[in-house]
Amino acid sequence: MAVVRTLLYLVVYPGLLFLFVYSTFCEWFDRKVYARLQNRMGPTHTGRFGLLQPIADFFKLMAKEDIVPEAADKRLFSILPVVGLAVVATAGLLLPVWNFDLANPGLTSFSGDIIVVLYLLSLPTLILFLAAWASTNPFATIGGARVLTMFFGYEVPLFLAVLSPAILADSWRLAEIAAFYQAKPLLLLTNLLGFIVAVIAVQAKLERTPFDIPHAETEIVGGTFTEYSGKKLALFRLTFDIELVVSSGLLAAVFLGGFPGGAVVGFLHFVVKTLFVIFLLSLLRALTSRIRIDQVVSFAWKYLAPLAVLQLLVTILLKGLLS
Amino acid sequence: MKLAVFLPELLRHLFKKPATVDYPFKKLAVPADFRGTPYLSPEMCIVCRACERDCPAEAIEISSVNEAEKRFKMIIHNDRCIHCAQCVDSCPTTPKAMKMDSLFELADDDRHKLKKDWVYVRAVLKPKAAAPATPPPAAEPKA
Amino acid sequence: MSFQIPIGPQHPALKEPISLRMTVEGEVITDVDMRLGYNHRGMEKLAEEKSWLQNIYVTERICGICSHSHATCYVQGVEKLMELAPPRRGLYIRYLVAELERVHSHLLWLGVAGHEAGFDSFFMYTWRDREIVMDLLEMISGNRVHYAINTLGGVRRDIDEGQKAKILEGVATLRKRSEYYFYIGANEPSFVARIAGVGYLSKESAIALCAVGPVARASGVARDVRKDDPCAVYGELDFEVATADTCDVLGRVVVRVKELLESYKLIEQMVKGLPAGDIAVKAPRKAKPGEVVSRYEAPRGENIHYIKANGTDKPERLKVRAPTLANYPATVEMLRKGFIADIPLIFAAIDPCICCAERTVTLVAAGSGEESVVRMSDLRRQALARHQNAPVKRNAVWPL
Repeated sequence: MAVVRTLLYLVVYPGLLFLFVYSTFCEWFDRKVYARLQNRMGPTHTGRFGLLQPIADFFKLMAKEDIVPEAADKRLFSILPVVGLAVVATAGLLLPVWNFDLANPGLTSFSGDIIVVLYLLSLPTLILFLAAWASTNPFATIGGARVLTMFFGYEVPLFLAVLSPAILADSWRLAEIAAFYQAKPLLLLTNLLGFIVAVIAVQAKLERTPFDIPHAETEIVGGTFTEYSGKKLALFRLTFDIELVVSSGLLAAVFLGGFPGGAVVGFLHFVVKTLFVIFLLSLLRALTSRIRIDQVVSFAWKYLAPLAVLQLLVTILLKGLLS
Repeated sequence: MKLAVFLPELLRHLFKKPATVDYPFKKLAVPADFRGTPYLSPEMCIVCRACERDCPAEAIEISSVNEAEKRFKMIIHNDRCIHCAQCVDSCPTTPKAMKMDSLFELADDDRHKLKKDWVYVRAVLKPKAAAPATPPPAAEPKA
Repeated sequence: MSFQIPIGPQHPALKEPISLRMTVEGEVITDVDMRLGYNHRGMEKLAEEKSWLQNIYVTERICGICSHSHATCYVQGVEKLMELAPPRRGLYIRYLVAELERVHSHLLWLGVAGHEAGFDSFFMYTWRDREIVMDLLEMISGNRVHYAINTLGGVRRDIDEGQKAKILEGVATLRKRSEYYFYIGANEPSFVARIAGVGYLSKESAIALCAVGPVARASGVARDVRKDDPCAVYGELDFEVATADTCDVLGRVVVRVKELLESYKLIEQMVKGLPAGDIAVKAPRKAKPGEVVSRYEAPRGENIHYIKANGTDKPERLKVRAPTLANYPATVEMLRKGFIADIPLIFAAIDPCICCAERTVTLVAAGSGEESVVRMSDLRRQALARHQNAPVKRNAVWPL
C-alpha cells in the first residue's frame, strides 16, 4: 500500500501530472487576472474561458522545430531544460499538501525540508545561467549575467524572510511550521512584513515584471531563452509555471497557515491560498514597470534585506517573549 | 515618492467589462461616411475616365469592349486600391457613378480574386440631369 | 570585457528595421554605430511619376502615424506654387485634423514608452483611450489612419454640428485621461526610476546637433514651427510651446503630455471658432515652374518638403526631410554612456519613424568597405549564392 501511495504521490498527485495540470491552470489564472487588470480579455477561446490555452501553447511549442545553435555546447544546452523541470517538480513533492505524517517524518516531509525546497528553488536560477552561457549568443550571455546579478540581490532577503516564521515555530519542517501556525493563527500577523518581502523576492525569482530583466524583450530579445525553441523552450516555460506553483505553495505553507484538514479540505486550502499568492504576484506585475539591473540590486539591499532583518528581529524578540 | 499609484485604477477595472471587442465574433459599426470599397453604378457612368486618371494606385482600369455598341468594361483592382476615395471626388456625374461602401474585410488568399469588374453600355446623361436619360441598360456585374 | 551587441535590423524593441550596433562593456554602452537603409521605398522617385493630385496620397503614405503631416506639408507647398488661397473653413478643418493627429500620435508614443520600459498596464490604458481620438478621426475623414482629408486648395470633407459636439465631448474625456496619465507617469516609482536622468542631451548639444520637435523642446529649446513660422491658422490661435529643462526621457514625456493639453486647447478653439464658407477652391492641374520649401510641425518635429515644378502636371522633384532623420545625431549622443536597459527607452524617446527617414541604400562590401552599384537582379543572385555557400561560422564576429 505504501509503495502504491508513494508511486501515486510521485506521478499523479502532487507529482508530475497534477503539477502539469495545476501549473497550466495557474498560468491561465495569472494571464486572465493580468488581462482583466489591464481591461483586456485574456485567453478566451481555447476551452471554456480559454482554460486550455496554456496547455495548447505547451503542445504547440512541443511540435515546433527544435534548433540547437551550431556554436552551442550541445549536450549542456539540451539537458538543462529537463534538469530544470526535474528540480522544480521535486521541490513540488515536498510541499506539505497530502502525504505526510506529523509524528513520523518520511521521505516527503522531514526536518529541514524547508531548506531543501528553498535550495531546489534556487537551482533553476543557476540552470538558467548555464543555459544562457551554453547557447553562446550575445543576448543570452547578457541575460545570463543579469540572472546571476539579480540572484545575489533577492536570494538573501528571500531566505531571511521565509526562515523567520520557521524560527518562531521552532522547526525546520514545513508540516510542523504549518501546524504551529494552525494552532496559533494570530501569530501569522507578526509575519506580515516577511510575507511582503517574500512575495517581492519570489516575483524576482520568477523573473516577472518589474524583475523580468534577464529576458526583457525590448532590450535583449529573449535574453536567456534567445536560442531556445521547440521542446526545450516548452520545458523551460513549464519549469517556470511549476516554479510559480511551488513558490506560491511554499509562501502559503509558511505565511498563510499551510493546508489543514486532510486530503480534500487540505487541497481546497492549497488551491485557494496559492491562487491568492498568484493574484498578488499578478497585481505586482501589472502595477510596475521593469527596473534596471543596478536598481534591482540596490533596491534589494537597501529595502528588502533590511526589512527581512527587521522581520527576523521581531521574530526573535517575539520568541523570547513567548517562551 | 508615492507607492503603487496605478493600483486604484487597476482594481477598479478588475471586474469591469473588457474594453476590447471579441473581434471576429462581434463587430463594431463603422461611421456613416466610412471609406470602404469603391464600386460602380454602371447606369450612371459616362466613361469620362476621370477616376482612372486620378487614381493614385492605378487600381481602376477602363477598356472598350465593343466600340460600336459603346460597351465598356471597368475593372477595380481591390488588391491595389488604397481606399482614398479620390475616384468618388473625381466623378463628375450627379449622382455619382463611383461610390464607396462600408466593407472593410476584403482579405483573400489570392489577389486576383479581389478584382471586380462591370461590363456596361456608356450612359448618356442630359446636362445637369439627375436621372439617366435611358432606362438602366443591361448591366452585368460579375464577381 | 567589451563586446558588440546588434540591436536590429530585427529586434523586438524596433518596429521598423534599423541597425544600432552597441559596443558594451558589461551593461554600459561605450560606442554606438547607426546604420540606415534597410527599408528604402523610393517614395521620392515615385512622386516624380504621379500628378500633383495623386502625390497627396503618395506623401500621405510616407508615414503611417503622422500621415496627415506629410500630406499637409506637401499640400501647403503645392498651394504656394499654384498660388491658391484655400478658404478659411477648409484651413480650419485641415489643422483641426492635424491637431487630432498630434493627439493620437502622442498618446501612441506614451503607450510605446510604457511598453519599452516594461510598463504594459500603462501601455494598455493609453492605447485604450487613444481609440477615442481614432474614432473621431474616422468619423471626420472616413478612415482611421490615412485620413485623406487634404486636397489641393482645401479639404475634402466638411464637419457638421453633430460632429462638432462629438469632437468637443471626446476632447473633454481625453483631457481628463491625459492629466491622469501625466500623474501616473510622473509618480509611479519604478517608471520614474527608469526615465529620470536617462538619455541626457544638453541644451547646447541639442542646438548643435539640430534636434527637432519634442527632443529639442525637452532640452529647453523652444523651437516649434507653429509658433516660429505660423502657417495659415496658427497665428490666430492661442497656445504655448511646451518645453522642459530636464533634458532626459522624463522631460520628453512631460513635453509630450503638455503638448497633448495644448492640442486639446487648439482643437476646442478651432471647433468653436470654425468660420462659415466653402471648404475648398478648385485647383489647376498644372503648376507654373518654380520651387518651394514647405515646413510643418509634425508630432515628431519639424517636417520639411522641397518641391520643384517644371510647368507640367507632375513635380520635377520632391524632397522630404522627415523629423526622425534630424534627430538621429542627437540619438547617438544620448545613447553614449547609457545602460543596455536604456537603449529601447532612449531610442523610443525620439519617437522614431524609421521608414520615413530612409532615402538611400548604399552597398558596402563587408570586408573592404568598398561601395558599389549593382543591378537588382545581380544583387538577388549574389544573395542567394552567398546564402548557399556560407560556411557555418563558429564564434562569429558580427560584420559591419
